Amino acid sequence: MTPLGRFVLATLCGLVLAGLVHVATVLAIPYLSTGDAFARSRTTLANDTSVLVHAAETGGPAEAAEGWLPRQDPAVAVGICAYDLDDGPVRITAETGPLLETIALHGRNGAYYAITDQAALRGTVELVIMTKRQFDEALATADEDERNRDVRIIAPSREGFVSVRVLAALPSQQAQANEAARSVSCTIDGPDE
Amino acid sequence: MLIEKAALPASGRAPSPGLRLRPRLLRGALRLRRVGTVGLVVYALGLGAVLGLASANWATRGRYPFGGVVLNAWTAWPKIGARDADPYVRAIHARTGEVPLALGEGLLLTALTDDDGRRLDPSCRYRIAGATPPARAWTLTVERGRHAAPAEPQAGTAPPPPRTGFTSTEVLRDRDGRFAVALSPDVQPGNWLPMPAGEGSIRLVLRLYDTPVAASTGVLEREGVPSITREVCP
Repeated sequence: MTPLGRFVLATLCGLVLAGLVHVATVLAIPYLSTGDAFARSRTTLANDTSVLVHAAETGGPAEAAEGWLPRQDPAVAVGICAYDLDDGPVRITAETGPLLETIALHGRNGAYYAITDQAALRGTVELVIMTKRQFDEALATADEDERNRDVRIIAPSREGFVSVRVLAALPSQQAQANEAARSVSCTIDGPDE
Repeated sequence: MLIEKAALPASGRAPSPGLRLRPRLLRGALRLRRVGTVGLVVYALGLGAVLGLASANWATRGRYPFGGVVLNAWTAWPKIGARDADPYVRAIHARTGEVPLALGEGLLLTALTDDDGRRLDPSCRYRIAGATPPARAWTLTVERGRHAAPAEPQAGTAPPPPRTGFTSTEVLRDRDGRFAVALSPDVQPGNWLPMPAGEGSIRLVLRLYDTPVAASTGVLEREGVPSITREVCP
């Protein structure tokens, strides 16, 4: 083989290798990242209520919030609350107000459930996140005479986080939106539920 | 290595006429013969690592490379919040820390160009008009690659920060419920959206909240998206 041929062959090998490295890197980034929303939300695990991570800033200066999110909608307040289903099912309770509010459940691989405040019953959205096993247990021990009205969602994995978005449609609603994004409660459901 | 070096001249053929025409290439090839197999392997490994990492870095910098649905100037991103989001989207979210709009929450649309396909120019005046797809609420915001640093607040004299967007509630509409937003560096009557100062390209972002569109983007094509028209360019 001529030297030029060898050089071309080495270049081709390099390009194929580059493709493999590219694919492997892109696939590995979510697992190695420490700056993604999932990893960052872990610090809120001990809280009983959601933490404001992006404050609405349509009217006046924005409130202090954990600012690790990239640029967001300025009219929306974002709250986050991490959960771990090891200690039992997690109950999410959001008091909805006049503002548009959406709640999404995220696992490691992205969002798996979302609900808006239109699904609220008497001004409250209530969800119970459980694993498949906890769901089966709850079904097995349920009292047959009593109707359970919880919205039960089976999570794909034990860990995840809940995101709350509240839209401040008018500048005067900024404080209200921030308060709503901050006040979603996520507590571990009692074992006797 | 030694064997390789000894074997190479033996197997090397007489330079072809094409090579004689390109003396620089030939010289490079001769130098390569001296470098030998180990050099070529190192070269291939290095090329693979550098190109692979650089391209992966480039593809996951922050703008979604593909998976969008193009509608005139707008691109809708229905898949970014879904569980079957592609690996690039997931890598981008992992790097930026983004919490994407989930499928049932809303839909993100972005525009980098006007309706004629020209990139949004910070010195021009644009008219963003029409109707939006059905949604309970929407917001239209303008972003720039790098925003100008906010001015230090001075006692009493600091002007309020310029508007960066409109929500569906606060935008002024005509009798038919349609709206027109003027994106311009100069003050405009009606819905004036100031062109953001700073560096980098301009990006328009339309977020539809609680919309049935998220389930199928076919609705978008039927209902239409706001038009982006370039009006005055100095």
